[in-house]
Amino acid sequence: MIHRVGNAYLVECIKAMRSKSAYVGPVLVVVMAAFAPLMQPIREDSASAYAFVAFATPMALNLLGLLLILTYCAGLVSSETSNGTIRMILVRPLHRHEFLIAKLLHGMTYAALLTVLVALATWSIAALRGKLDGVEYGGEMLYTSTHMIAMYGLGALVVLLPQFAAVSYALMLSTLVRSTGAAVGAAIGIWIVLDAVKYPLHVAPFLFSTYLESPWYVFTMNSEGIDASWTPELYYCLATSLGSIVVFTAIAIYALRRRNIQS
Amino acid sequence: MAACVQTESFAKCYGSVVAVSGLTMSVQEGEVFGLLGPNGAGKSTTLYALCGLIPPTSGTISLFGKDLRRNFLDVSARIGVMVERPSFYNHLSAKRNLQLLARLSRKEVTVDRALDRVGLLHLGGRKVGAMSHGMRQRLGLAQALLTEPDLLILDEPTGGMDVESTQEILKLLRFLADEAKVTIIFSSHMLHEVETLCDRIAIMNQGRLLACEETDRLISYDTSQADVLIDAPEAAAKRLKEQPWVQSVSVLPGRVRVVLNGGSVHQLTTFLIGAGYRISGVLPKRRTLQDYFVKVLHS
Repeated sequence: MIHRVGNAYLVECIKAMRSKSAYVGPVLVVVMAAFAPLMQPIREDSASAYAFVAFATPMALNLLGLLLILTYCAGLVSSETSNGTIRMILVRPLHRHEFLIAKLLHGMTYAALLTVLVALATWSIAALRGKLDGVEYGGEMLYTSTHMIAMYGLGALVVLLPQFAAVSYALMLSTLVRSTGAAVGAAIGIWIVLDAVKYPLHVAPFLFSTYLESPWYVFTMNSEGIDASWTPELYYCLATSLGSIVVFTAIAIYALRRRNIQS
Repeated sequence: MAACVQTESFAKCYGSVVAVSGLTMSVQEGEVFGLLGPNGAGKSTTLYALCGLIPPTSGTISLFGKDLRRNFLDVSARIGVMVERPSFYNHLSAKRNLQLLARLSRKEVTVDRALDRVGLLHLGGRKVGAMSHGMRQRLGLAQALLTEPDLLILDEPTGGMDVESTQEILKLLRFLADEAKVTIIFSSHMLHEVETLCDRIAIMNQGRLLACEETDRLISYDTSQADVLIDAPEAAAKRLKEQPWVQSVSVLPGRVRVVLNGGSVHQLTTFLIGAGYRISGVLPKRRTLQDYFVKVLHS
């Protein structure tokens, strides 16, 4: 199974690398990070540089990045269904759930790539225009640069989980809806509606989308010289994200296994 | 010969619509089997089910003696499929498309050989988006041949191709069946294609199998009717009308067309020679697949 999923994943990556549209997202997040100093200027002090990173990263990832992930992943299966290429694939020695897992891994790779690019872009800009020697207060070193990098790295790792949950959510809709346009519309539309009603309906604590900012909380507070704790938000973030990945993937697999792949 | 494809009471329903009902049939190894029927007969549904793209509502499908659903990986590694209009990634070249599909196959494959077989080797670098419909059809066949399959499932493989390409493809399929002993299940609206290619033909309508016969038997000569090339057609016709074993006689330039009523062509020629007529030829009526097709559908 691992071999088959690996081959299917490789096929997905080759297809994406040869498609111009796959490059749009990565370019856009880097451009957004590049323009972030216009909204959060960097002064010649270290606190300002870290504050910029703490501002620009969630902004690029949660505003634009998430939209790009939803758009990209909602097209992963629906595009194959609508143009008929799924028929060529599913008559090969590959189970339908293996095909979906390969798609999921591909979507996760895309999300991870966006995160890495945003991280590289924001830290590069901060390093070029400010100082990244650690966070000082009144001449006293509160957090060293190593500590700040570690907190950021940990945040970036944790933020992958809600992003992966977003990937599995979009992939589920991509499996349920045959048209790419409708799948993308449904993914973004449902997301917006849920975001608007989750607090009035008191369901916010159970949705992974509530915790998209949580992974950056400690880094953001530290960049302002304030101590902060990962708990309990981190646990909620992990639990809701992992739960969502499992549920959405299971629904997608169930739907695809029952699907008549016919034109 | 062992059955390569076997369906037992296969049925497929879409809600209340019955696409295929209780289909039981078998295709032997090395056989070229044609599926005929009007639109909505259930041909495509049957072919889609045979390659695992749609699950049956009831009944079983076995390929190479193994249940398709339980042994999908083993079975699918041995089949090549081309269903309706083949779809590819338009932004990639023909060769790249096949290379990607080859990665998903278990067997060692040679992409160039598959392209060469369908006459597309020189166009391997061309993007699929820039290919004509006929070229895509041929590429579709190339991807089906990619793994040198033991069973080919083809749904209207020559649709949209020009006459020359169609002939080449039919020749290739016949070669695969004769030389490589590939079993082929083939559906087409073109009766002459099915007639040329298939060893056995099944006719479906409204989801049911109406008939399944060997092609040679279907299109053999009809001995109940013959054209006799004769020196005096009018006089001969007059004599023939008096015979009880003759149903009807019509006179045509230089010949009589005789429909026999229990008599044989041998009896007819013996009678005419005995009566002093000079016969230069006897042409028994050749049945066409179209005749049979129409007859089965109307019955």
